[in-house]
Amino acid sequence: MDDDDETYILLLLSDSNLPTGSFVASSGLESYIKHGFMTSPTSTIVTFLQDSLGAYARSALPFVTDAHHVVERLRTREKDGGIETGDMRECQDKALEDLAALDDLYDTMTLNHVARRASKSQGVALLTLYSKGFSRPSSSSVISGAEGCDQNRCMSDLLEKFKLMARKEDTQAHLPICWGVLTAALGLALERSQYLHLFLHARSLLSASVRLNDMGPYSAQQLLMHVVRPLVASQLARCKDLRTGLLEDSEVDFDEKILGPANTWPLGEILAARHDLQHSRIFNS
Amino acid sequence: MQPLHSPIPRLRSGGGRISLTSYGTSAVFSELASTYPLKVLSPRIVARGLAVVYLLTYGGGLVGGDQIELSVKADSKTVLVLLSQGSTKVFKIRPGRRLASPGVSRHSLTPPTSIISPLVTYPATRQNMTFTIAAEGALFLLPDPVTCFRSASYNQSQTFYLSKSASLVVLDWLTSGRMSMGEEWAFSRYYSANEVWVEGKRIAKDIMLLDDQQPDPIAKILSRTLADRLAPYSCYAMVMLFGPLVQSTIQDIAAQFDQIAIFKTKRPAEMVWSLSPMTSESGAIVRVAGKETESVRTWLGQALLGLQETVGIDVYRKAFP
Repeated sequence: MDDDDETYILLLLSDSNLPTGSFVASSGLESYIKHGFMTSPTSTIVTFLQDSLGAYARSALPFVTDAHHVVERLRTREKDGGIETGDMRECQDKALEDLAALDDLYDTMTLNHVARRASKSQGVALLTLYSKGFSRPSSSSVISGAEGCDQNRCMSDLLEKFKLMARKEDTQAHLPICWGVLTAALGLALERSQYLHLFLHARSLLSASVRLNDMGPYSAQQLLMHVVRPLVASQLARCKDLRTGLLEDSEVDFDEKILGPANTWPLGEILAARHDLQHSRIFNS
Repeated sequence: MQPLHSPIPRLRSGGGRISLTSYGTSAVFSELASTYPLKVLSPRIVARGLAVVYLLTYGGGLVGGDQIELSVKADSKTVLVLLSQGSTKVFKIRPGRRLASPGVSRHSLTPPTSIISPLVTYPATRQNMTFTIAAEGALFLLPDPVTCFRSASYNQSQTFYLSKSASLVVLDWLTSGRMSMGEEWAFSRYYSANEVWVEGKRIAKDIMLLDDQQPDPIAKILSRTLADRLAPYSCYAMVMLFGPLVQSTIQDIAAQFDQIAIFKTKRPAEMVWSLSPMTSESGAIVRVAGKETESVRTWLGQALLGLQETVGIDVYRKAFP
């Protein structure tokens, strides 16, 4: 995939109108403010942004990375024609098995039921987005040429199967896993996928604060322009090499204590899990 | 033929083994062993199928480089309660060297100057514990909180292997440090992993990592310290509950939780807590944060009162005086 293609995918995926369900999630911000952690609006939002982004990066990015690896590996092998038709199915089954294992680990590590619920609904939405929004239109008159069609088929087949597993509740379809799957299937490089995932987390927190009326849309834009970028960059630098340790290609002496996912913000966890107890609320998480 | 008494594998320094077996209607220790600096003590308890073990360390604490390896087994229909005596203090280095520590020369009583230099990175303290609980057995792990002193680095991993009808309560908590010395969240690292497996399937894995993220040259924004992120609370607790013996306790806590209605407040409360069901139906996770360790202890003592039915009032009072 050349740079233009990748840039175009980035543009599509960063669209705030994308039906990913993130507009109903505040990732604990609404509850945080309700519990009296608001000092002044702008500084509170920046503070929450830093703590929430730091915690999310440390717990979710290893899963984005590993899910991306699984799909990327299958995609390159298919592209290079390195797989016989008979083996294709076997490779795909192995990929699905790995993804389900990642999904299961994320599920058992996400012990806050509100976050678990939000993560699942957004993950499923991403899979639907791929099958309904990124597949080729069926009317062949719209597009000409069949280039990249096979590869497309291999990926859409994988995602279709993964979606079916989620529907049958054989897997959970958590957001970080589905994000890694989706971006790898679309051919987005890992580092860009990680960057965009953290950026979108930060941006959806800012839109939540606008919806909560704690900040105006211009101030939110200002923060996006000047504050979010260094925050995302520093969290990416800190967490981009983290792994789950589940995949075979992890280092032999993988030290989970140093390189594995972890919960780094117990306060955020408690407040987010109290979300449903709010007397009135506008978000689902 | 096997010798009648197969040699018990030697315990290395800091190792320990506890094995509780049911014998008729009572529970007896088929093994209760530990080596320096770990010490396990079991007071006499007059109750059927129940045993209490205190996990202690010499000097009431752990130092950099200490490694505790404990394996615990509870047989079917036994109830094992594990307690500590006072909070587990984690020092960066021991005030006054430990003579029996491996690798310490008995001739040099004063530490070499390099050890007290702030530039040296100290070895981390590690505590690994494995627990196996047989069908209809129960393990209640109810220690005092861990207190990490300035610059201490602590790593704890606890893994629980349960049979289907086994019950489990794990309390894992920490305080912000030696507040009397002005230490609040001044340790360098606290890592605690709790993983629960039931019949070969992992049902919960909680990993808490508290460390000060190094200020990053890329981030032009003032970085948030650990104290910033955890304020205004100075004690954090996590309780995992699983199995038939704790169902009524979970229900009690859930009823209490559901009654809470949150209205917007101006400042954070003295204490805040949450309850989340595990994906596996018969388990739950409770988290508590409080400004005072004692108020968190009081709250826990109330919330877990249902366990008294299993362990009796006397044992329960040892855990929550």
